[in-house]
Amino acid sequence: MKGITDISHRRRFLAGGNVYLPHIVVIERIIEENPGVRTFHFNFKDEKLREEFTFESGQFGEYSVFGIGEAPFCISSSPTIRDHLEFAVQKVGRITNALHRLGVGTELGFRGPYGNGFPLDFLQGKNLVFVAGGIGLAPLRSLIWNVIDNRDKYKSIDIIYGARSPADLCFKYDLEVWDKDKTVNMVTTVDRGDETWTGRVGLVPKVLEEVAPSASNAVAIVCGPPIMIRFTFPALERLGFTPEQMLTTLEKRMKCGIGKCGRCNIGNVYVCRDGPVFSYAQIKNFISSEY
Amino acid sequence: MSSKKKINKKDIGKLLSRWSQQFTVLAPSMESGVATMAEWDGKDTSFLDWYRNTVIPPKANFFPPMEEMFSFQKDREGYHIELPLVNEHKQLIFGIRPCDAKALAILDMTFEEAYEDPYYLAKRNSAVLVGLGCTNPYDSCFCTSLGISPAESTDVDLMLTDIGDQFLIEEVTDKGKELIAKTSGLKEATETDEARAKEAKETSHNKVTRKINTEGIEDKLLACFDDEDYWEKIAAKCISCGICTFLCPTCYCFDINDELVKQQGARFRSWDSCAFPLYTKMPMENPRLEKWRRVRQRVCHKFEFYPMTFNVIACTGCGRCIRLCPVNWDITRVLESLPVKV
Ligand SMILES: Cc1cc2nc3c(=O)[nH]c(=O)nc-3n(C[C@H](O)[C@H](O)[C@H](O)COP(=O)(O)OP(=O)(O)OC[C@H]3O[C@@H](n4cnc5c(N)ncnc54)[C@H](O)[C@@H]3O)c2cc1C
Ligand code: SF4
Ligand code: SF4
Ligand code: FES
Repeated sequence: MKGITDISHRRRFLAGGNVYLPHIVVIERIIEENPGVRTFHFNFKDEKLREEFTFESGQFGEYSVFGIGEAPFCISSSPTIRDHLEFAVQKVGRITNALHRLGVGTELGFRGPYGNGFPLDFLQGKNLVFVAGGIGLAPLRSLIWNVIDNRDKYKSIDIIYGARSPADLCFKYDLEVWDKDKTVNMVTTVDRGDETWTGRVGLVPKVLEEVAPSASNAVAIVCGPPIMIRFTFPALERLGFTPEQMLTTLEKRMKCGIGKCGRCNIGNVYVCRDGPVFSYAQIKNFISSEY
Repeated sequence: MSSKKKINKKDIGKLLSRWSQQFTVLAPSMESGVATMAEWDGKDTSFLDWYRNTVIPPKANFFPPMEEMFSFQKDREGYHIELPLVNEHKQLIFGIRPCDAKALAILDMTFEEAYEDPYYLAKRNSAVLVGLGCTNPYDSCFCTSLGISPAESTDVDLMLTDIGDQFLIEEVTDKGKELIAKTSGLKEATETDEARAKEAKETSHNKVTRKINTEGIEDKLLACFDDEDYWEKIAAKCISCGICTFLCPTCYCFDINDELVKQQGARFRSWDSCAFPLYTKMPMENPRLEKWRRVRQRVCHKFEFYPMTFNVIACTGCGRCIRLCPVNWDITRVLESLPVKV
């Protein structure tokens, strides 16, 4: 068995024909989502690449802070936006802290896009249930905008999004728009409210069961901290979703992003090359439970 | 007419000198007491007496322990990226053992797959491999169990066999054929020479006495993959030093890091190892924090996952991980003691 997904069709944007050389990109705008998360809008320095570059929702890139190093982040903007790209970063270590210190105009390195992305063919004509926690909304946000920008190709949209507290919610500007959108059922929840919070309080998997979206002709797309994902799959199963109807994106420590450096494997599967998007059915078939 | 050639052992120095005009000739060499393939000094052929195999596998000549990927520099216009200067001289490795030549063929699969690795492939595709059959295998060698002969190889360009005072030279690839055509000073081999070589090869083959049974190994490993008690027992004495992976000719895991001095920087890659807990550490968790998971990863990557992807076992039976492990961890014993009857 080759990789579990066919990657022969993936487009490559190689700098100097060398897969490890980053393209230079420039930070154009920085949005402080919450104290720990920033979104960066960026663009390729090379005009031609701005035109040519394409990617799929769910794919990721390797971003360099020159002199500090490289780390993987998903592209959080939708491919339907053509004038810039976005990624969102939660501060957790060396490179992410360095990214948070940078200002508009700074040059970064970018290579990608890598990974498989969400299977749009499979999602079209279906009712979509997005379930996200914290920074986990970043990859789903790319898909959600992609779907909204091609609204007639999809059926109903439910979005269940949670964070620890109101201050921890990311992409609040999107949440507001989706909340007003009559074709979207937007449910925002927090683990703990504060004085001003009038919305729902409760953990994402629990709120999901309260909202109880129908499993009929539906696909659930889940992304968040591992603990949330672990409780969300059983909740979806109780709602009647089969493992084939649940998609998620997995996270592993990564360096190369292209199936060479070895570290992101789960059994014979390389998350960077064969994923990061997998159905729960695929995950259940993995040789190893090291995910 | 036989296309096989031969050369006197005492003329090997002359042969290597001739090849040195065209290639960077690498030959077995002792560096601080460690046997490795290093640039030949132009005269010393004493390795013919002591060489059994190198400690540092020849993968190091294509995929160095530490390698600059590019440098970067910042000026008023922004960052500029520059590739390192490449050595225009092609490498010729003299004396590579059949197991190590096979190991390169195994590495090729990973480095060629999907996204080509330009650093490895540039060195690899321009290199010439001159194999040398084994006359004195270690008792830790078990190449024959992996379908590799200690005396023959299809993964080299030329193959040499010890026939006493001389080496028989066989052309294996077109590249090897071309090289021989351009090499003066070789004699035609006689039928007696060939008969002697045949005998030498048989003797060599019979000297590899350590065996493992690789039949159904993938299924066996799959069957005991979740046997935590077994893996814990197997991993008990391992000290996670990583020597078995660094010195394994088919291990290729690497790390990527930056260095910066006064706006001038470089990105490097360096050998990494699945024996280390940091290798897979993530901000909130680590899928292989426990040692037994890392040991399982190493064994299963070679004997289960690699075959699933590339249809070949990623072990050549070179025995380095057995000879060099500080606590005598022995992969052949592990494979022979799997708790499954198939
Ligand atoms: C496909 C994919 C997509 C992703 N998308 C996003 C995204 O959209 N947004 C986002 O915010 N994140 C995303 N991530 C996660 C992100 O890549 C990591 O958070 C990031 O790589 C962390 O880098 P860092 O240098 O800041 O952390 P590191 O400095 O590497 O630290 C991480 C942790 O490892 C430990 N550590 C690392 N090295 C050492 C060492 N040498 N010694 C001791 N401890 C060490 C540290 O203690 C720390 O807790 C994604 C990951 C993947 C795989
Ligand atoms: S060389 Fe031996 S002790 Fe070191 S990591 Fe390998 S098996 Fe463990
Ligand atoms: S696993 Fe051991 S015997 Fe097999 S190729 Fe690697 S070092 Fe040699
Ligand atoms: S990140 Fe290197 S193999 Fe996946």
